[in-house]
Amino acid sequence: MEGEEFAVGCFLSIKTTLGDEFEGQIISFDRLSNILVLQEGLESGPRRNIRLLKANHIKEFSLLRQDEDPLDVKKCFLDLTSLQAREDSAIRQAEADSERLGVGVTSEAQTLFDALSKTLPVRWDKTVIVVMNEVRVSSPYLPESVSGGTPAANERVRKVLEFERKRMQTRGTSQ
Amino acid sequence: MNMQQVVFPKSSANGFGRQRGDREVGARLENKMQLGKSNQGRIQTTGALAAGKTVGNESFSRDRLVYLTTCLIGHPVEVHVKSGSIYTGIFHATDAENDFGIILKMARLIKDGTLCGYKSTTEFVSKAPSKILIIPDKELVQIIAKDVAVTRDGFASDPQNEKYQEILIDSAISQSRHVEVERELEPWVPDEDDLQCPELENIFDGPWNRNWDQFETNQKLFGVKSTFNEELYTTKLERGPQTRELEKEAMRIAREIEGEDTQDLHLAEERGVDLHDDFDIDEEMRYSSVYRGRGVDDSGYEDEDILLDSHNIETFGDSYDSLSRSADGVRMPSSSSLVDDAPSSQAAISEDLNCSRPNDQARQLASELPSKSFSVSASESRIRDKLLGEHGGSSDGNEFPEKQSVSEKPSSSGKLSEGPASSKATDEMHSASSHGPPDSSTSSNSDCVGTVSASGGFGLSPSSSMGSLSSEKSTLNPHAKEFKLNPNAKSFTPSQTPVRPISPVSDGSFYYQTQMSPLPHMHMPVSFGIGPSFPGHQPVIFNPQVAPIQSPQAYFHPNGPQYGQQMVLGQRQVVYCQPEMQYKGRDY
Repeated sequence: MEGEEFAVGCFLSIKTTLGDEFEGQIISFDRLSNILVLQEGLESGPRRNIRLLKANHIKEFSLLRQDEDPLDVKKCFLDLTSLQAREDSAIRQAEADSERLGVGVTSEAQTLFDALSKTLPVRWDKTVIVVMNEVRVSSPYLPESVSGGTPAANERVRKVLEFERKRMQTRGTSQ
Repeated sequence: MNMQQVVFPKSSANGFGRQRGDREVGARLENKMQLGKSNQGRIQTTGALAAGKTVGNESFSRDRLVYLTTCLIGHPVEVHVKSGSIYTGIFHATDAENDFGIILKMARLIKDGTLCGYKSTTEFVSKAPSKILIIPDKELVQIIAKDVAVTRDGFASDPQNEKYQEILIDSAISQSRHVEVERELEPWVPDEDDLQCPELENIFDGPWNRNWDQFETNQKLFGVKSTFNEELYTTKLERGPQTRELEKEAMRIAREIEGEDTQDLHLAEERGVDLHDDFDIDEEMRYSSVYRGRGVDDSGYEDEDILLDSHNIETFGDSYDSLSRSADGVRMPSSSSLVDDAPSSQAAISEDLNCSRPNDQARQLASELPSKSFSVSASESRIRDKLLGEHGGSSDGNEFPEKQSVSEKPSSSGKLSEGPASSKATDEMHSASSHGPPDSSTSSNSDCVGTVSASGGFGLSPSSSMGSLSSEKSTLNPHAKEFKLNPNAKSFTPSQTPVRPISPVSDGSFYYQTQMSPLPHMHMPVSFGIGPSFPGHQPVIFNPQVAPIQSPQAYFHPNGPQYGQQMVLGQRQVVYCQPEMQYKGRDY
């Protein structure tokens, strides 16, 4: 039965049905919900990478070794208010961020948007980058796709776009 | 399986039902967490937990699961679902009672499993973040969270904790999500030494050698006529019969100053002296203006003190300790303009003699014997001779002329009694000799002289600067009568317009005094409350008993904002102080 092999503290190497492979140490296994709680990484420091895995999605696994309980129960501590606060602030942050993120745009477009936003006021209008409320850059976000605004502003946006694309090329985007 | 059916993003348009559900879930989870919390470390079951199951092991592991999922609240997580899609969002809640379906907030799809992963990532199209995303247990494959604070230390040191405060630090605001790969920075190296570079260094070196006139050049190149008049920006140089002498004197003083020993790195560099060659001193040490405690130039401070003290002495006619330091490196200036100080210095000596500070006295005496010019009044030389006579050191006599310091005891002309003076001098001298530094000879004169030489140098700035101070720059009247406070004097009532422009008294800085107290000579008035710092020099005093201030505005600096209401009224009275010397308007 899986129970014995999923003892707390065991180091496992796991392959999931989705193709993920990783190693981790068991913190807990809840049979009822079939969730295996793993900790990745070796340090038992205060901050760890946690993985909750549904055991039924384990394609295969192997036991590497057995260690002691990685979770020191005495040190466990929960502060609900701060957790709640953390969540609230994270949500606020995410909402602010979502302003920056274009919907239905490629990541390349997003990169260009971010680069433009460093020096110019930009916002999304569906899939169009609107700069300084006058200049519009639509797909495919090439210098030719820049339209609108005064000639000076237009020129400027074009230049920034060109420069940014060049930079992306030399960097070799792997986004 | 069609993801859309099961996992649907929640918009606010959706009905209540779902929201209630969420809240319930949330509430339930809260309950569990609280129970879980209280159960830390204890293997216990509670009724609220897994319905009916009370096996110790299971609830132990269930406890842990609950604990860890609670740790995740508010944390950004990545959720993999059965279809291969990956969502990222903020972990909000999990349905701990049943099957641990989870709820994310502000979730985004970052990988769409339904597309079979054929599209390259650069072309991946982003989707709008969903406010609330529910992922039922059946779809759940795994939840990944990085850097989760699991233990108490983790929570305490949680950097996110700082983010929770409303204060946003700059770096948080300006943080770019996308890390740029910047160019590798290289230090600048000049290419080939341009022609200009050496010129830059030398161009101001020899002002008398300068054969490049910027105005002329400008005129030639651009036809710009210059209206530059040096005298607009600096004191007009009087060129009269004394010019050559003054120039010579100035050069001499300049040479002295520049030739001084200095430990200050910056000064040394300016003068071309290479200090600390062997030390590891980088550019910052060399050129930064941040004081780091290295190479402190003490002589500089002494100069300051001496200047200050001499100033004080002129004002107050007191004798100050620090003047004894002026004995260091003092020389006799030969400028003719210092002649008029002779009588005052003579007076000063007597003054000193009357003071009762033995040690300093003696030193001061010796050092302060006037040396400005040899046109000393008879009494002076008499005193000096007497002193010399006391110690019978002819060598002293020789040394004396060179080593006398300048005394700046002008103001008081008081009691000129030489007889007792000289005897006192004698006594002082004697006592001083016992205090002198070990390496000096017997006479206290030599002691002082010894001190002089020991303390490094006739390098001099004090006397020359002091000399100049007394002769040229001093605006204090050396012949003025010594001030004595007359408490019965008539109080001064200011007229509408101030007698002299009020120096920058800022509006807030009013000094309130409920009654007139005999003010000391000092500049420090009683002040409380309001306003920023005391303006420092030259505040104005007037007697508050006379009358309440009729028009406060009169005492404001005309340009300052008027705070009429704040000031004044009733008991409160404005007190300004001023050094009496300067205030000619008084009738005492």
